Amino acid sequence: MIATLIIQFVVAMIATAAFAIIFIAPRSEWLTAAVIGAIGWIVYYILKDLNYSNMISCLIATFILTLMSRILSRIRKCPVTMYLLPGIFPLVPGAGIYYTSYYFIMNDPKQFWAKGLDTFQVAGAIALGIIFALALPRKLFTLFK
Amino acid sequence: MNSNFINSSMDRAIFDPADLPETPTAKDVLTFAVEMGDLLLRNGGEIYRVEDTILHILEAYEMENYDVYVLSNGIFASANEDKEDACSIVRHVPLGSVNLDKIAQINALSREIAEKKPDIRYAWNKFFEIKESKLHPDWLLNLCGGIGSAGFCYLFGGSVLDSVIAFFIGIPLALFLIYMSRKKTSKFIMHIVGSAYVTFLSLFILFLGAPILYDKIIIGCIMQLVPGIALSTSIRDLFNGDYLSGAIHLLDAVLTAMCIAVGVGAMIALYYFVTGVMP
Repeated sequence: MIATLIIQFVVAMIATAAFAIIFIAPRSEWLTAAVIGAIGWIVYYILKDLNYSNMISCLIATFILTLMSRILSRIRKCPVTMYLLPGIFPLVPGAGIYYTSYYFIMNDPKQFWAKGLDTFQVAGAIALGIIFALALPRKLFTLFK
Repeated sequence: MNSNFINSSMDRAIFDPADLPETPTAKDVLTFAVEMGDLLLRNGGEIYRVEDTILHILEAYEMENYDVYVLSNGIFASANEDKEDACSIVRHVPLGSVNLDKIAQINALSREIAEKKPDIRYAWNKFFEIKESKLHPDWLLNLCGGIGSAGFCYLFGGSVLDSVIAFFIGIPLALFLIYMSRKKTSKFIMHIVGSAYVTFLSLFILFLGAPILYDKIIIGCIMQLVPGIALSTSIRDLFNGDYLSGAIHLLDAVLTAMCIAVGVGAMIALYYFVTGVMP
């Protein structure tokens, strides 16, 4: 279990860093963005493993990684987007969008609705996680400077 | 100088900040503020950030009675509405790709302007520096396309072999995407061809008899195309009350997903046609 978690963490770090670079993050932020993305993914992975639904896992993971992005953005004086965008990339329902459109083309309405619903739920959960974490008062974060 | 400015992004070629007068007119300030917002929006800044930036700049240069309305693909701004020199700008900003470095730099510049209120010519020069800056070489972006594809292939349940294949399919895909977006080809064509290419190669490798999970390879590579960020942003916009921006991003995400489906579906149909079995 621990070994799988470590492998997942490292791979998620590498994948997030790669997409942070594609989003043209400056070199000084590659590592921070990667760690944030990996933590979000690991939280999601553990919650999924504990049999929580996709939606709840994504909501909690996004909430945690948005909080961390806010703290980091205070410390390193960068906009929150710098960490948030690469950070949510592993959680974002890319595979869901793919399967939804795949079943649409393959003319399989049952699977299409199931996957489509799941995709929208996950996207909604991510959005809510971000909004909740961004709505916390700014004062909480003045501790980190 | 203002006559040079016809509904397009400012460029050093048509505009030299040194020509500006000592005290800028309302139009000069508004143009600068909207230019800043334009660059921010074009590179993936959030709606509220763009609005804040424009408002802060207008305030710093002592405009009165100003307002701004930002959509995910357009900016409307006006200043000094009840004075002689009232002016307004409408700007169309096509949806672009994300550039975090430019967002951070514009953010820093707008903060500097709000705090120190520097000369507008200095601010223009800074702005052009940001606009023309280029951070990463192409080969690095291509390599990262491959690494990212391989990583996500593994995270979504592919084996190590699948990831290695995804790496080698992902690099040319990144190359293609960068080239096509420089050429300003239709985004839809880009996504159809890109997803068809990925599906064709992974099905071809499956056809050769390799023990692979072809759909994991496709998903890993397609992370470069799939509008996951656009979908999440759109729902975030909707929750924020920016209904129009949310709808624009949502439509963009759905249409992009359709294009990917067309590319993938066409190649799967081809595979079925050639081999007689569904992959």
